[in-house]
Amino acid sequence: MDGLLIVPIVLPVLAGALLVILAFREQLAEVRNVGSGKKESKKGAVPENKRGTAPENKKGLALENNKGLAPEKRWKSGKENWPFFYAGIVVTVSVVLALVVSWTGERSVTLFRLVDGLPVMFRVDALGRLFVTVTSVVWLAATVYAVVYMKKEEKQKRYFGFWLLLYGVLVGIDFSGNLITMYLFYELMTLVSVPLVLHSGTKEAVMAALKYLFYSLCGAYGGLFGIFFLYRYCDSLAFTPGGTLNAAAVQGHEGALLLAVFVMLIGFGAKAGMFPLHAWLPAAHPVAPSPASAVLSAVIVKSGVLAVIRGVFYVAGAELLRGTWVQYSWIVLSLLTVFMGSLLAFREQGFKKRLAYSSVSQVSYILFGLAVLTPGAMTGALVHVAVHAFVKCGLFLTAGIFLQRFGYTKVGQLTGTGKRMPGLMWCYTILSLALIGIPPAGGFISKWYLAEGALQSGTGIFAWLGPVVLLVSALLTAGYLLPVALRGFFPGVQEDDSLQELAGAGGNVNLQVFPIALLAALALLAGVLPNMLIEYTEKIAASVL
Amino acid sequence: MREIMMLIVVLLPFFTGMLVPLLSFRSRKGMWIYLETAVCINSALVLWMLFHAPEGSLTVFRFTGSLSVTLRLDGLGAVFAAIAALLWPLATLYAFAYMKQESSEKSFYTFYVITYGIALGVALAENILTMYFFFEMLSLVTLPLVMHERTKEAVRASRMYLFYMLGGAAFAFIGMTFVLAYGSTSSFVAGGVFDPAQAADRKDNLLLIYMLCFCGFSVKTAMWPFSAWLPRASVAPTPVTALLHAVAVVNTGAFAAMRVTYYSFGTELLRGTWAQWAVMLPVLITIVYGCSRALKETHFKRRLAWSTISNLSYILFGVVLMTPLGLAGALAHMVCHSFMKLCSFLCAGAVIHKTGREYIHELDGIGWRMPKVFVMFTISALALTGVPGLSGFVSKWYLVKAALDSGGVLAYVGAGALLVSALLTAIYMLSIVVRVFFPGKDFDYRKVSDVKEPNWMMLVPIGAAVLFIVFIGLHSGPLTDMLEQIAGVI
Repeated sequence: MDGLLIVPIVLPVLAGALLVILAFREQLAEVRNVGSGKKESKKGAVPENKRGTAPENKKGLALENNKGLAPEKRWKSGKENWPFFYAGIVVTVSVVLALVVSWTGERSVTLFRLVDGLPVMFRVDALGRLFVTVTSVVWLAATVYAVVYMKKEEKQKRYFGFWLLLYGVLVGIDFSGNLITMYLFYELMTLVSVPLVLHSGTKEAVMAALKYLFYSLCGAYGGLFGIFFLYRYCDSLAFTPGGTLNAAAVQGHEGALLLAVFVMLIGFGAKAGMFPLHAWLPAAHPVAPSPASAVLSAVIVKSGVLAVIRGVFYVAGAELLRGTWVQYSWIVLSLLTVFMGSLLAFREQGFKKRLAYSSVSQVSYILFGLAVLTPGAMTGALVHVAVHAFVKCGLFLTAGIFLQRFGYTKVGQLTGTGKRMPGLMWCYTILSLALIGIPPAGGFISKWYLAEGALQSGTGIFAWLGPVVLLVSALLTAGYLLPVALRGFFPGVQEDDSLQELAGAGGNVNLQVFPIALLAALALLAGVLPNMLIEYTEKIAASVL
Repeated sequence: MREIMMLIVVLLPFFTGMLVPLLSFRSRKGMWIYLETAVCINSALVLWMLFHAPEGSLTVFRFTGSLSVTLRLDGLGAVFAAIAALLWPLATLYAFAYMKQESSEKSFYTFYVITYGIALGVALAENILTMYFFFEMLSLVTLPLVMHERTKEAVRASRMYLFYMLGGAAFAFIGMTFVLAYGSTSSFVAGGVFDPAQAADRKDNLLLIYMLCFCGFSVKTAMWPFSAWLPRASVAPTPVTALLHAVAVVNTGAFAAMRVTYYSFGTELLRGTWAQWAVMLPVLITIVYGCSRALKETHFKRRLAWSTISNLSYILFGVVLMTPLGLAGALAHMVCHSFMKLCSFLCAGAVIHKTGREYIHELDGIGWRMPKVFVMFTISALALTGVPGLSGFVSKWYLVKAALDSGGVLAYVGAGALLVSALLTAIYMLSIVVRVFFPGKDFDYRKVSDVKEPNWMMLVPIGAAVLFIVFIGLHSGPLTDMLEQIAGVI
């Protein structure tokens, strides 16, 4: 039953493709109507009696009017709500399938050869299981939220089409059995997620999406450069804990190989928001619809992390890098990003943009944990993958509620919101605490392991400098997250209760808060009952280091 | 008498073309049927010939002594002939639809079909003289096609075209004389025609001559610093730009470079010498230069022309690696690029044909009015950028693999250059895709309401190219095995 492995990939992809095609056709018809509408208006100029002779044209006009309705009115008319149920059901089924398939036994399946010697192969291992679980949980939560959120956005079919496609592709990345399969899905992920970023269709969104696209492709090609060299100097590209480096072949070519691995790190680091290719993140996140920015930050950014782990620990092998200039540059870049991201987030006033900078910083915690090449730090990094995914998804979803229901985009506007929506603000507070790393929330555990692992790493000055930077960054994190909660609950004297919901804000807000609460609970749980997660990630770390 | 087939496939298009002005057709359709039938028959003959390869060679006539025009089919020539045979019927069908609006169709078709025979002549050339002969002919026959519109711009472009071609041919001629004078035979021999012992005496001379000769032939591939003619030549009607200036003519240059490198001078003589680096450097520069210029270019067809320049240098890069794997990679990219670039050019032509829009900024939102064309354009764009699962990835993979296997710093730099170029390709192709489908929220679709999808005669060739792109992308095994076998004889 190994073939089952591709079901959770193929199902959402096909279901999504169907929606995308439908959306495409709909848009085509719409554009065509605009064209005939022009003719219509020209005809309007001719005498009345002529108009009366063309009843089918009138019908066309009526149709066009129907299309022109505001989206929420169409929603109320009940005709346009099937994509929401459809997306919800497909995601639920796929998530269940993905979890069942990945957690019940070892499976591997080879589909076909891309090029001779490059099979497209899927296999689930411990790391893939961790990532697919995180992805699925986040996806489920974000889907529940999106079903409410997207009612007020246009072009829902297109959105949910790419939403489903993206989930399938992400599961494909997690299930990949070798580097080239992962690269294939990595490229697809970029292409499929671009329409989510430019969803609103404004000039700004399109520009941000292009920026995202080009940074991602730049990163992917950097990764590909590394893959070329690894293909040359490794026995195979199949993921093997500890790597498959062919020592005899490398003899005399260490310099070139190290350079290639470094380029790969920078390349895959682009998706993970690592300096110097981090600039797409603060541009793309704020313009995307909130559920999309939530999964961008929580899951897609983590694919960069996964790619780095796969490339370094499962193909090249950590021993290749230990003590070389590549390791030190990696540490320096990740620490720089940690600090810079926090600082920029601290100075940023736009809420979603602040969260985006926060992601830049937090994901580099993970990269730092990987860069020091000790089991302890890697455990911390993997725990942080899960914690950050839950937290950042929750935070972006929170920002989405404020944005959509009240039109608040700036941090300063959130003053007093805690009185109006205490449940949401409590969730926000818990999520913030988890990210800062205040015990007993999840972030504390991961950062503890990160710092401990770094101290034992024997990387000279970085062994203590790293934890110091992490600590400073944690303070900054507190500085940019907590004031929002504080001012939300304690607005001060001069505040009035003028918080008004925007007109036309429909849908059940509780259904939106529920996934956020769930994510907050998970982030908390990861800290309160950490043993299972830690044991699991320790096993992964021990297998590769 | 299979050998005679080789002559037939060269001459049949020639006579078909010559007859076009002489015959009087009752309608345009009659001419179409005549042309398409002739081209299809010729392609069928070529493909039949490839599967029943003639063993010997056929000397058409002798000039003097060992100088003769001789045809022979070998693996390398078969690849080139197959590309021509597959693409010509498609492009001809497309040309019918396209040329309806243009003037003096008959003279166009005359030269368009004659070119087919000459391209096959290059593919089937047995010795360097024959190749040179057809090579020159190709320049002359395609000249009227560039000049077709008779505008000032077209005339100027064709003059430039002529100068570049003649200049290139002059350098190639120098190389040819040396090969004929010092080579052990005038024929193409896998591995080269120079006796190593004799060549050692005048090695530096030969290397210099090789460099000149390579550059001379590479003028046709528009290698930097000889690249200016190609974007200018895109004033020609699109069937010419698509088939000749993205595939046939430029591939001829690359093909000649392969012949000279692997079959005349021989890699044994060249590998690791200064001449290899001297030709690799401009090739690497062209790869990046072409892409950068494409990025800057706002004219749709000219952007694609710059992209062609860059991609042709991928092929040359494979050639100058001077390893069998490099040749295999070069051939793979020659095949894949032909289909990809043909596809994107035909899409650009469809836009020009239906709307008269030539600049990229005029294309906003047009994708929704020409969905079939632009969905297929998107696929070709993704293939050109090298997305796995499409044909561009396959050929690039082989090229880089060959580069890394050959070792050497410039080869590594080449792998990097390919990836930089891939990124630039993504930028200049995908920004078009985004523009045509996402023109911005407030875009007024009435601006494009006059745009209509082209008819089947345009869509079928584009669709066929797309099918090939996807098929090779998913199932490249047979093709690459064959190419490796062909390159393996060296």
